[in-house]
Amino acid sequence: MTSVASRPAGRSMARRASAREGGPVRSGMTLVAYLFLSPYLALFIAFMLLPTLAAVGISFMRWDILGTPEFIGLDNYRQIFADPLFLTAIKNTFYFVFLTAIPMVVLGLALAMLLDQKLNGTAFVRTVVFLPYVVMVSTVGILWGWLFDKGTGLVNYYLTTIGIEPIAWLKDPHWSMPALAITTIWWTVNTNMIIFLAALQDIPEELHDAATLDGAGPWHRFVYITLPLLRPAMALVTALTIINGWRVFGQAYVMTQGGPEASTFVIVQYIYLTAFQNFEMGPAAAAGVVLLLITLVFSLAQMKLMKAI
Amino acid sequence: MQDQRSNRAGKSLGGRTLAYVLMVIVTALWGAPILWMLVTSIKPESEIYAYPPAWMPDAPTLQAYAALFQRFPMLTWFRNSAVVGVLTTMLTLAVDALAAYPLARMQFPGRRVVMGVIFATFLLPYELLFVPLFLGLNSYGLVDSIFSLTVPASANAFGVFLLTQFFQAVPRELEDAAVMDGCSRFGFFWRILLPLTKPGLATVAIFTFVASWNNFFWPLIATNSDETRTLPVGLATLVGGAGMSMKQSVLMASAVVATLPTAIFFLALQRHFVRGIAATGIKG
Repeated sequence: MTSVASRPAGRSMARRASAREGGPVRSGMTLVAYLFLSPYLALFIAFMLLPTLAAVGISFMRWDILGTPEFIGLDNYRQIFADPLFLTAIKNTFYFVFLTAIPMVVLGLALAMLLDQKLNGTAFVRTVVFLPYVVMVSTVGILWGWLFDKGTGLVNYYLTTIGIEPIAWLKDPHWSMPALAITTIWWTVNTNMIIFLAALQDIPEELHDAATLDGAGPWHRFVYITLPLLRPAMALVTALTIINGWRVFGQAYVMTQGGPEASTFVIVQYIYLTAFQNFEMGPAAAAGVVLLLITLVFSLAQMKLMKAI
Repeated sequence: MQDQRSNRAGKSLGGRTLAYVLMVIVTALWGAPILWMLVTSIKPESEIYAYPPAWMPDAPTLQAYAALFQRFPMLTWFRNSAVVGVLTTMLTLAVDALAAYPLARMQFPGRRVVMGVIFATFLLPYELLFVPLFLGLNSYGLVDSIFSLTVPASANAFGVFLLTQFFQAVPRELEDAAVMDGCSRFGFFWRILLPLTKPGLATVAIFTFVASWNNFFWPLIATNSDETRTLPVGLATLVGGAGMSMKQSVLMASAVVATLPTAIFFLALQRHFVRGIAATGIKG
């Protein structure tokens, strides 16, 4: 976009300016624009917009795969909130978000700062940290399922070499969720790292140089220059981390199947179980709407919080 | 990327040493699981559970790979994933590029509304859609088909968002000149705009393909036979099945096979990945 702005002023400059400000619309342009948009909009309406509205609609209905749908008001919501398994799922998912959110943001920033330096080998380390991004969730689950094995897993082997007793990770309800959190951090912290890296590289070098001349140490430069300028990236990373946290499913499904003792049973697995194993579409849709509302509330709260800081 | 950076934290010898120590630790923590996966997949049975764990197999073998392909329809799953990935990518590219052009370069009533609605779906937990999508596709008999795995996934906001940014960067003069020479809007889009924004198209293509290759929850619901099942769903059946105890070497071989295409893709086109994530922060 900067390349456009820096072009020499010409005849079309005025027209461009008027277009930016939403000036006169050339006749026929609207039709052309919507013609270009129509394939996307058709797919978007059919597979995004209507399903979203339908999900809300179905959540107010009794809807089994067979039989006629019937409006039943809030009964589905009453049903799921009376279901201890759903409450467990909300609690577990919240615990997962709690365990992953702060490490994902802090570690993402720390990795970005470490690898933003002009040192030999940073490009290699960036590649290594980024590699898990392309590993599919089933594979992540299969791999870490073994790493966390009590008897033959690498994690316990290295823990015992530093004197820690073997932990039954995925078989112990107290450790299963932390194990999933560690797996997830290993798998996805790279996304946050890349966003922070891009933001760090947008910070003008001169700011740091000037501050150094004024006698500011590394810590002061971090607090008074880096952190404030990273605020937009921080907001984005935090929002994405929290939303994706609430959506967790694959890791839990492959590594622990929600167990042991439902200690890793999460909201999306509740939707899966209710809709596609018990075929109760109404309550499943209601659980989906609850998930949407939770992520909305968290996004809004997080935006407010970011503004306040 | 790193050329322009100066040496912020590592000015002193101590700082530099600390940075290198941290880099070694990070490399070990992130690299070891991947390396372990590779090493285990070529270990013979007798060495898999050796104590202490060995990072070099004494007698490397491809037995696990042979077993994997003999006992599971790996080739079918692999083919399904490839077909779904390629079709989804092509459809997404076509539809997203067409949509991004007017959003980036035309003024028309409703533009802001359309953009707002599309980009709002960034915040949508897609899991919400799966119940109505399943019911809808089911009523048309389309569940367990390539259609259900490709077309619904193609209306993603990420491609439109990224391509809009790339398209906006192309100078207005080019379009004016082309139109004056009698080029239609579509002619400009096809012959000038797309060739000029190849890096953007490549980024979208790579992201869409990797996301499709790794997509798990929707294919888990939308497939129920090996004829359409994709790799992630197929592989998930290797673990967790009641009473099925698979050798770790076979599981790790499956992990290697599943990761190889996207890993090669990634290593070859790393800068596109990095640019795409930096631009939107959207994973998959």
